[in-house]
Amino acid sequence: MAKTITDYFEELRGTRVWRSVFRSGTGSSTLHRALAVQQNVFLHLFSTKVRTRMLSFSTTWYLGTLTFGTLLILVGTGIPLMFYYHPSVPQAYADTKDLQFVVSSGLFLRNLHRWSAHAMVFLVFAHMFKVFYRGAYRPPREFNWVIGVILLLITLLLSYTGYLLPWDQLAFWAITVGSNIASAVPVMGNKVHFLMLGGNVVNANALLRFYVLHCMILPLVAILFVAIHFWRIRKDGGLYAHQSEPTTVAAESVPAAAKGGQFQ
Amino acid sequence: MQSLKNTFSSLWQTLFGHPVRAFGAVSLLFLISLAIAPAKNYFSEWRHYQNRYLALVRGRGDAVTLQRHFHEHDGIQQIWLPTLGVVDRCTTCHAGLKEASLADVGTQPFRQHPVIPHTLDQFGCVMCHRGQGPATTVEEAHRSTAAWEQPILPARYVQSSCGQCHRAPLTGTPQLNLGRNLLGRYGCVHCHTIKLPDGSAIKPTDVPPSLSHVADKSTREWVYAWLKDPQAYAVTATMPNFKLSDPDARDISAFLIANSTPIAGDTAPVAPGAKNQKPPDPTAGASLYGESFCASCHAVQNAAGNVVGGDVGPELTRVGSKVKPEWLRAWLRNPRVYDSQTLMPHYRLTDPQVSLLTAFLGNKTDSDLLANVHLDAATPEQVAHGKLLVTEYGCASCHEISGIKKPDNFAPELTRIGSKPLTQIIFLPGMTHAIPDYIAAKIREPRSFGSALKMPQFSLAPAQVDALTTALLSLTDRAHDLPLALTVPSKPPSNYQPAGKAGQLMADLTCFSCHAINGRGSDMAPDLTWEGSSVQRPWLQAFLKNPGTLRPALIRRMPRFNLSDDDAKELTDYIMAVYQTPAFDRDSMPSSGYPPAQVEQGKQLFYSKYACQSCHIVDTKVDKGYVGPTLTQVGSRLTAAWIYHWLKDPQAMRPGAIEPNRNMNDEDARALTAFLMTQKGSNKQEAKK
Repeated sequence: MAKTITDYFEELRGTRVWRSVFRSGTGSSTLHRALAVQQNVFLHLFSTKVRTRMLSFSTTWYLGTLTFGTLLILVGTGIPLMFYYHPSVPQAYADTKDLQFVVSSGLFLRNLHRWSAHAMVFLVFAHMFKVFYRGAYRPPREFNWVIGVILLLITLLLSYTGYLLPWDQLAFWAITVGSNIASAVPVMGNKVHFLMLGGNVVNANALLRFYVLHCMILPLVAILFVAIHFWRIRKDGGLYAHQSEPTTVAAESVPAAAKGGQFQ
Repeated sequence: MQSLKNTFSSLWQTLFGHPVRAFGAVSLLFLISLAIAPAKNYFSEWRHYQNRYLALVRGRGDAVTLQRHFHEHDGIQQIWLPTLGVVDRCTTCHAGLKEASLADVGTQPFRQHPVIPHTLDQFGCVMCHRGQGPATTVEEAHRSTAAWEQPILPARYVQSSCGQCHRAPLTGTPQLNLGRNLLGRYGCVHCHTIKLPDGSAIKPTDVPPSLSHVADKSTREWVYAWLKDPQAYAVTATMPNFKLSDPDARDISAFLIANSTPIAGDTAPVAPGAKNQKPPDPTAGASLYGESFCASCHAVQNAAGNVVGGDVGPELTRVGSKVKPEWLRAWLRNPRVYDSQTLMPHYRLTDPQVSLLTAFLGNKTDSDLLANVHLDAATPEQVAHGKLLVTEYGCASCHEISGIKKPDNFAPELTRIGSKPLTQIIFLPGMTHAIPDYIAAKIREPRSFGSALKMPQFSLAPAQVDALTTALLSLTDRAHDLPLALTVPSKPPSNYQPAGKAGQLMADLTCFSCHAINGRGSDMAPDLTWEGSSVQRPWLQAFLKNPGTLRPALIRRMPRFNLSDDDAKELTDYIMAVYQTPAFDRDSMPSSGYPPAQVEQGKQLFYSKYACQSCHIVDTKVDKGYVGPTLTQVGSRLTAAWIYHWLKDPQAMRPGAIEPNRNMNDEDARALTAFLMTQKGSNKQEAKK
């Protein structure tokens, strides 16, 4: 019998190199599968076992995953954009123009970054609505809802700080207006305004601050909270299933090959 | 319908029915959409134009050279000038700008750039043409987009860009020079402040008359008609039309007449006995007008409708309908009594001459002008309302009006109008959203932007509108922010004032209305800065007494001022003593006594080698040159040293002289000087003396 791709893969998993990297051994028993997830630094955030119906589209509309996908795209496009961008007053606008006109696929990079950012804000909101209306915020998931709200704020802040970076009229006035709103805070409004901009008007300091926030601090904080968010899903008992929802999904909608070690 | 639905659902099932297949299908879709980016990058506009350029070049004789030039720098081209803030990628598509051999190519973007005094690498493209230099697509580079307000400058205004750095007039920018003149001449800068990068401001060059004593000069009816339509009185009038309603014009005229105060001696009524004198010869007035060369400064519209004469003073076509005869008489006698700042010289006319000219000018009337003007006596309310209107329309911005202060910054400042952000402009419907169109429309018809606007209607020819637009477009942010080292400043205005009694005389005769001395004055007549080194004393004194013509082809001539002997001597002494060049001594060469052989050699040179007779006349019978001055008497007019140095380098003696520099050697110049110094005037004239 000719070897299938699965056989080759099993062979690969048995090699010493593979075993040195991934500590779970060969085999496709439930234990092995559970270990593969549990012993991986990234995957251990997730539940080791997921109900198949939780993976169906109608349950979550994949909104959380899509949001995370846009975040990955934003990081992926943002890093190349950083190679071409100087956060300085004389250079910033010229750099965005260079991205538009001279850098290979620079306009694509920028547009992808921009549209993904818009999509992420939209998806975060959609995700929260879905969670809210399904009642998935209720105990024991109330803490993860709070984390979600923090992630919403981080998303909005990322969007806002990124808006200044092209350093055009639109950016300048949007940030001027936005920061003036902050100065309307009672008592300490002007201090907040000054702290935000590094001065009293939008200028070189504001550009630098927004750049550092946009490219360093906010993404790191976002990743930290995303990690907690994912981890809490597992800790809170997996994705939320409504009491009235059927515990099994219709047999025909479950792919045959995926039936192996699934809990239903 | 049903089958379509079935097909669709089976297709869906095939592609996305199974998670693995769905993953594969989605991946493929993403891959294809990702491939669009590099594809768009590869099939970019600039690559398309570069390929077209190479195709164009391929068939030509000098293809190898052109291809080598092109391939020396592959890909996107760029002119980067950090000091000027220029990043221009225009040459990416405009690949043949520097190729002189492409002169016959007429298709853009491959045309050769016309020859200009600057190189492309020195200044880039957008300094002159505007547009978006860093852009590499046609749309973004040339037109205005949401993020770029400065589209390419229409070619007919391109001279404005020269004016960003060059403050002084250039020979290559007639339109810009005209526009800058018009800004002063039409008095735009009375109301609109225009500050120049050096901190000074453009000064008006028109001289709007004071209206504080207007009742001495004109009637209320004329003021009314003038206010209603200045160009109906004089087509060349620079006063704009304020489109006043009848009552408004009535009230303003009422106020101006009521507000006027008399000046002692500015009117001279005809003596009762003089009326009985027989009427003067009808042609005598016209010939005195001609002899006095009034037409050098004043224009008159002839029967064919052409305006003939100078534009220094007001047009006189209908002057009889405007001024009162008693005022005109006093004015002709001495204009300085009515207006101490006038450009009009004080002719020393005799009383009969004054009467003659008054009668001649008084006949220049237009019965239509005042035919329909019937004004009742002004009421105090009308006067008060007139005063209000005068303040509201800013009349005092231009005219001196007693009791009304000149308003400061009456109209918006235009210092940086060429870079005005489009967001601050309200365009008319259907108008191109660009600065040049806005400025031109505003000049052409200001009230089309709103009938309540105060800016009046100027009567300008299309060429003048273009010229003014050009001059205003040169007032950009860049013009003001350029490093000072990169600007070419204009000469600072001179306020040279000749001293002493001669200085007073020169002020009285308003020499500066026509002549320039030490940088001050007009360019109508020759510059007199070195006149003392140039001419011989007896000639000058005689000329001041009775100026003859030096250039028969010219209509404008120095008028005869009827100077007394003392005055002529005073002026001659001053000119001979003060206006001397430091370059040479005027007496360093003798005025006569040259060896006949040298004179003969000079004559040969005059007629053969240098062919001076093409422009000058020495022998009135054979020579036909009318470009330069007649030289029949040059030996008694000019000093030998001046002639010699002039021949060596005319422009050194008088910048801008049109006589070409022939690079004469010393021997030729001396021989020609010797020949010219023998031209002392014809025997006939001497016999007459």
